[in-house]
Amino acid sequence: MALLEATGIGKNFGSTKVLQNISLSLEKGEALAIIGSSGSGKTTLLRCLNFLETPDTGRIVVDGETLWDADDPATHKEREKRKKRLHFGLVFQNFNLFPQYTALQNVMLAGQLLARERPDFRTNRKQIYEGLEIQARRLLEQMGLSDRANHYPHQLSGGQQQRVAIARALALEPDILCFDEPTSALDPELTGEVLRVLRELAAKKTTMIIVTHEMAFARDVADRILFMDGGVVVEEGPAHQVIDHPREERTRRFLAHYSA
Amino acid sequence: MVIWSRLTESFWLNTQLFALTLLFALPLGLVVAFGSMSRFTPLRAVVRTFVWVIRGTPLMLQIIVIYLGPGLMGWGTPWPAGSFGRLWAAVVAFVINYACYFSEIYRGGIESVPRGQTEAGQVLGMTRAQIFFRVTLLQVVKRILPPMGNEVITLVKDTSLANVISNKEIIMMAKEYSAKGLIWPLFSTAIFFLVFVGVLTLLFGALEKKLDYFK
Repeated sequence: MALLEATGIGKNFGSTKVLQNISLSLEKGEALAIIGSSGSGKTTLLRCLNFLETPDTGRIVVDGETLWDADDPATHKEREKRKKRLHFGLVFQNFNLFPQYTALQNVMLAGQLLARERPDFRTNRKQIYEGLEIQARRLLEQMGLSDRANHYPHQLSGGQQQRVAIARALALEPDILCFDEPTSALDPELTGEVLRVLRELAAKKTTMIIVTHEMAFARDVADRILFMDGGVVVEEGPAHQVIDHPREERTRRFLAHYSA
Repeated sequence: MVIWSRLTESFWLNTQLFALTLLFALPLGLVVAFGSMSRFTPLRAVVRTFVWVIRGTPLMLQIIVIYLGPGLMGWGTPWPAGSFGRLWAAVVAFVINYACYFSEIYRGGIESVPRGQTEAGQVLGMTRAQIFFRVTLLQVVKRILPPMGNEVITLVKDTSLANVISNKEIIMMAKEYSAKGLIWPLFSTAIFFLVFVGVLTLLFGALEKKLDYFK
């Protein structure tokens, strides 16, 4: 059974149908790229998976657990949303690092707060915090940012900030890591360093959903690609096939803009 | 010399009123701010109307209403007799008035923190309270320091309004001398206010500098 099964996801903003009957599934260790023009609903889909938006229709099942079923109010409890979100990680287009914390603190903060809910927190507080710091430093090292651990976000370049944000998301060890146009706010030079990190994550079989405008990157790194337009999935398939031999006319027209 | 020491003594009342107002109005303002941002429309409407009334009428009038109003309505005055009761009536009026002004500054500060900060906290599994206290609050404080500095400086000088219900603060004291034909004490009161505001200005400058480490 797939790690993630989303079926029939629909979302309206007022009378605008942003998402219509979207279904997607994701195996463990798989990287899925979502492409499509602005306004096609890609970002809204990611936000639905992370419960930043609530889908009007459809079901989201992770690892056999139904996190959301539009027809089942028992899955709508506000209090449980917080825990459900932890199945997913989300890396934002504009990083959203916490400006008052250093890179290291940004990576550790959520883990520290969640640790308070552990029954052994009072007795093992010191060891827990030490463990979190070791993990955070290891993640920053993995991002090539060991020497930036004590820098504040405003002292870092955009590419460095985004890599801290990726480390921050990885620190909670989500089942599925989502990226919302992670390089759109970066100039080409800095884009490269973030894409390199994403390639490494894919090579390590991190389960990922990447919304991106980098077609070459999507083809090389993703296992599968999903092309969205007007709130519906137009085409889905193996990455090379969708990019190099799209079946749908709409996909071909979209990709024509990138074949420079 | 006697005049100087009597002026200094009376300025103590201004200082007390200043400190007590801040002590209660700073937290109360935050409560009012949350009320005025509530998603529950009736609460939001009530709070915003209240803020409008308080900001829309003179503080001097509010002091009088708070002090004399209950008695005039036939409810009996809640204030103890004497200078103690007059001071507390002034404190209550000041706290209500300043909490409303503070609430608007807080609201502006809270709404100016990008939505993405809250969302980043949400996807990291933080609770609403954790997001407010660990992520948003310090960013709000940094943003509102300059307008807060303004408001606090205004408060120093507003404390004189307490004399409308016979609180013997520094201006009232000095006026007694001018009624007797001695005019210089009245002008000298400016020195007290200037020194006090000077200290506050340095304090706010230091706070702003302290929060300069992030952007």
